Amino acid sequence: MMKLAAVETKLLTREPGALFSLLIPLFILVVFGSSIEPGDTVLLPMALAIAVGMVGLYLLPTTLATYRERGILRRLSATPVRPGNLLVVQLILQLILAVTACGLLLAVAGTVLGAHLPTRVPYVALVFLLGTASMFAIGLLIAALAPNGRAANGIGVLLYFPMAYLAGLMQPKDQMPAMVARIGEYTPLGAFGQSMREVWAGAAPSPLLLGVLAGYALVVSIAAAKFFRWE
Amino acid sequence: MAVIEVTDLRKKYADLTVLDGVSFSVEEGEIFGILGPNGTGKTTTVECVEGLRRPDGGSIRVLGLDPVKDARKVREQIGVQLQQTQLPENIKVWEALDMYASFYDDPRDWRELLEEWGLADKRDARFGKLSGGQQQRLFIALALVGNPKVAFLDELTTGLDPQARRTTWELVKRVRASGVTVVLVSHFMDEVEELCDRVAVFNRGKVVAIDTPAGLVGGEHRMRFTLMAGDTSGVAGLENLPEVIEVSREGNRVIVTGRGDFATAVTAHLARHHVLVGDLRLDKRTLDDAFAALTGRSFE
Repeated sequence: MMKLAAVETKLLTREPGALFSLLIPLFILVVFGSSIEPGDTVLLPMALAIAVGMVGLYLLPTTLATYRERGILRRLSATPVRPGNLLVVQLILQLILAVTACGLLLAVAGTVLGAHLPTRVPYVALVFLLGTASMFAIGLLIAALAPNGRAANGIGVLLYFPMAYLAGLMQPKDQMPAMVARIGEYTPLGAFGQSMREVWAGAAPSPLLLGVLAGYALVVSIAAAKFFRWE
Repeated sequence: MAVIEVTDLRKKYADLTVLDGVSFSVEEGEIFGILGPNGTGKTTTVECVEGLRRPDGGSIRVLGLDPVKDARKVREQIGVQLQQTQLPENIKVWEALDMYASFYDDPRDWRELLEEWGLADKRDARFGKLSGGQQQRLFIALALVGNPKVAFLDELTTGLDPQARRTTWELVKRVRASGVTVVLVSHFMDEVEELCDRVAVFNRGKVVAIDTPAGLVGGEHRMRFTLMAGDTSGVAGLENLPEVIEVSREGNRVIVTGRGDFATAVTAHLARHHVLVGDLRLDKRTLDDAFAALTGRSFE
């Protein structure tokens, strides 16, 4: 199990996609960050949502669907080790990647850009946890349904853009039609981004949005477990 | 001692019957072939034996264990090379071997396997950069890294060039020589003829014959030749050769029927008696002929 985890970690570091999901949100942060006011509470939550979304919707499903497509899960089930171990290891690694990406964003934004960092850490952790759980659940569902790695990649990208738009990550929410913005708040990425903004503004996250996130995480991951195939 | 016993195995996918009462047993130390055209249930059978699929009916014993109920114990003692399986593109050869070794209680030293399978200089190469033959050797090495009692090799030379196939055959013989029982799934006649001690011939979800390759091909071959001018009295003695069954002669044309290596005996006899012959032809039955006779259809 430790060997498996060690090798999977090495493989992740050799995966260009992993580097992208660290660098793209950082790039967005730095490009837009140069024009923000000190103490800004919008840009950083947005970058964090983008980072978690990329890992959950793009990297996780692509990796898992590729493993199934290449028969790696099937080959593993012919050894004394259960292929479920590989899934657990992957989930943990992708979680670590998401945490790393967010840590990097917080560090850069907090030091170089002088963006506002929230003081109520438990709230941040709670929102991050539920948001990541709902993103990963969607990623798992994609992995369960996609016939192969490329399809998973395509579905991930296809889902990502409308979700990012609805979540107000592509343009400021006050420039979006009110109705769309309202609906967007109840999409997984939207609820995540909105909760983050609330925490950044110094408030407690709305229980309704947290409930929405938890609901997505639960329902979608049950669906993923139901549809998942090992081969 | 039988290491694998399969009795009346049945499997259906939806309405399609894939296995319709398959039975065979594999003895310790042999190379057992599972032969048949694609889509006749070979791989499904082997995957049931490996515990990767649950049969609908029948019983399987691997080293005395049930591959479903005692899955872990069985997997600890078998090595598997699956059809159409890949490794991650970026995994290095040594990492794959080291990782798979860690899955077993009593693994072999993977450094030895690197040497044995000619992969020592590819130790740090990534899987995606290996040639087809190198990938195949790595798969076999991975099948052996757990120090198995039985190794299952499924279509292991598909996609290899003739040279690489020959090399792989030698390697499979070496696996058996090291004391591992081998189950070889193949749709290549020549491969089975070269390697297997016994073969189960599959057709439409059933085993239609189990025998040695020579036994399947059957004893009788025919040799024809035309007598040239000169002393032909030596032809008469052919009938007394132990390998020869029948000699028929029509003027200058002779047809000899025999079994086994009778052709060598016949030509040696003719040479000894200074009989000159021409137009010599040997009609040898092959495993292809045997398959057609068993199933009433040609192999491919």
